Amino acid sequence: MQILLIIIMVKLGFIDLDIPKGSNLMVYGPPLIGKSAFVRTLFNEEVSNGAGGIYVSTKDTAETLMEWFEKVGLDDFRIIDCVSKAMMEDVADTDKIKRVSIMDLTGISVRVNGFLEEYWRSGVRDILLAFDTISALLMYLNPQTVFRFLHVLASRLRAARGVGVYVVEEGMHDDKTTTTLKQLFNGVIEFKEDEEKRFFRFISSSSRTDWKEFVIEDGKVVIP
Amino acid sequence: MKIGIPVLEELLGRLPKGKTLTYYIDPEVEGDVFAMQTLYTNLEEGHRCAYVTSTMNSSSVKNRFREFGWELDDFQNFSMIDAYSGFVGSTSEERYVVKDPSNPSELDEVIRKVLRENDLVVVGALSAMIDICGEDFAGIAEGWTGVARDSGSRLVFSFVAWPYSESVLNRIKDMSNAVVTVGGVHHRVVLGYYYGILKADWVDVENVAVLFRLVRPGGVRAYIPKILVTGPFNAGKSSFVHSISNKAVSVDRLGTTVALDHGHVEYKGFSIDIFGTPGQERFDPLLKVLGREALGVILVVDSTQPKTFPRAKQMLEATTRFGLPYVIAANKQDMPGALSPEEIRKRMALPDDILIIPTVAKNGEGVYDVLEALLKLLIGGRYDEP
Repeated sequence: MQILLIIIMVKLGFIDLDIPKGSNLMVYGPPLIGKSAFVRTLFNEEVSNGAGGIYVSTKDTAETLMEWFEKVGLDDFRIIDCVSKAMMEDVADTDKIKRVSIMDLTGISVRVNGFLEEYWRSGVRDILLAFDTISALLMYLNPQTVFRFLHVLASRLRAARGVGVYVVEEGMHDDKTTTTLKQLFNGVIEFKEDEEKRFFRFISSSSRTDWKEFVIEDGKVVIP
Repeated sequence: MKIGIPVLEELLGRLPKGKTLTYYIDPEVEGDVFAMQTLYTNLEEGHRCAYVTSTMNSSSVKNRFREFGWELDDFQNFSMIDAYSGFVGSTSEERYVVKDPSNPSELDEVIRKVLRENDLVVVGALSAMIDICGEDFAGIAEGWTGVARDSGSRLVFSFVAWPYSESVLNRIKDMSNAVVTVGGVHHRVVLGYYYGILKADWVDVENVAVLFRLVRPGGVRAYIPKILVTGPFNAGKSSFVHSISNKAVSVDRLGTTVALDHGHVEYKGFSIDIFGTPGQERFDPLLKVLGREALGVILVVDSTQPKTFPRAKQMLEATTRFGLPYVIAANKQDMPGALSPEEIRKRMALPDDILIIPTVAKNGEGVYDVLEALLKLLIGGRYDEP
């Protein structure tokens, strides 16, 4: 019997990268190189072009994120804020912003699914989930717990044929943790700094791009 | 003592003294509400009830209950066990405090004491305790079931079934007197939620699955799922709805349906409403309204009339825009010239993974195979597990 395998590809615009729908990518590099700016720029571009956007933040509050996205003219997306609950006494949720404790992985998982269902039922089929950062989760929870959580989350994104990008700090975790994390994802967007210039490239089991230079202008990533 | 969850209460009766009930929850489902509802129901009954929190501080717990209209502060018979504040280095005003929640023996000591002093203890996140203390912690939790048995108290676990090792997952199920699974109805995304009884050692349980919604305020509410039967004019939709239903009514005139066929079927523990839609194009807006409410679609096609296939595809697109799973009934298979399911697949250009099932709706042949296939798509085959 002949099996025809059809892989539907999706183009991540500004980085000019074709990846299969349902991919989960790790965004990996040293601190302060611009990973968050990279993810936000990508998120802005995809969501502006009609994709549904879910931003899970373990680093910035929803308000900080909104401020950034308002500057680039984006307001229709969803946020799961895992920061506010630790800082403020119970800020109310809205339709677009849900707040959970960073320790409450079930809460994060349930909120992601709520947003996915909402997009799905309203006919939105392309979905980008940005998770900034996994490293913050690993500060509070043991690696096994985080792997189990990511396994469930990545499987859901794959089933929904969405795309997930997950930020991981280089140099913050031991080799075993980083290696296990890499195995959970379909590919890695890797960053490096060389002679005061910043570069990224994409690596997966089947492809590898050349290093590409980028700069950050007004908080956004620009490829010169 | 009451269980406080609709349908479960009728099936399980009351929660007897000394028993442990575990809500075994899919990680993508908001299932913590079940244990909360059991607790609140019994607070109202005047029992001494305690809630153990491991993932949020006590004011967040109270707000979480408040979302469902349940005010914990109204009850003198309520106590909170704070096994969270110790993590984040804040202090706690609660009566019971676990100073170091990562210390299994301190947790063990406090919970044993609480079990002896209360009628009902709800552990809000057993899985979070296992995450923090390691998989061996399941053994300590097993010890609590013994304390509940000996002291005549009741223990309720909320356990989120992350992909732990099989031995931990089995241990949790084995140590509980009753296990209620809380799961998701999946089709690419989670479209709905259900619960069912995996086991209960004080009653003979039926294999049921109940779909539910969370109502705020109100909590867990059972609801009846809708399945939509659609298809072109004269494909046999009314016959399909009638032959599958235990009870059905049609609103029709001159033999063709101009409004709705409505039936109801009790099947493998599911209670399902079936809606047949009229095939004429002028009723398409109705299709959209029903599609928004439904959980799945059955498309009935007349296997002898390939010229109606384009219309069938058009109807399919109208309903599946809402992201619903569907199964195709290749009807009138008893008629001369009926095309085989594979031939229909080819003519309708349907992908290989779409199920096309031969039926003769007139006499009920194959109709339950269609329903079975659709339910499998929705629950991932999990509803008929032991």
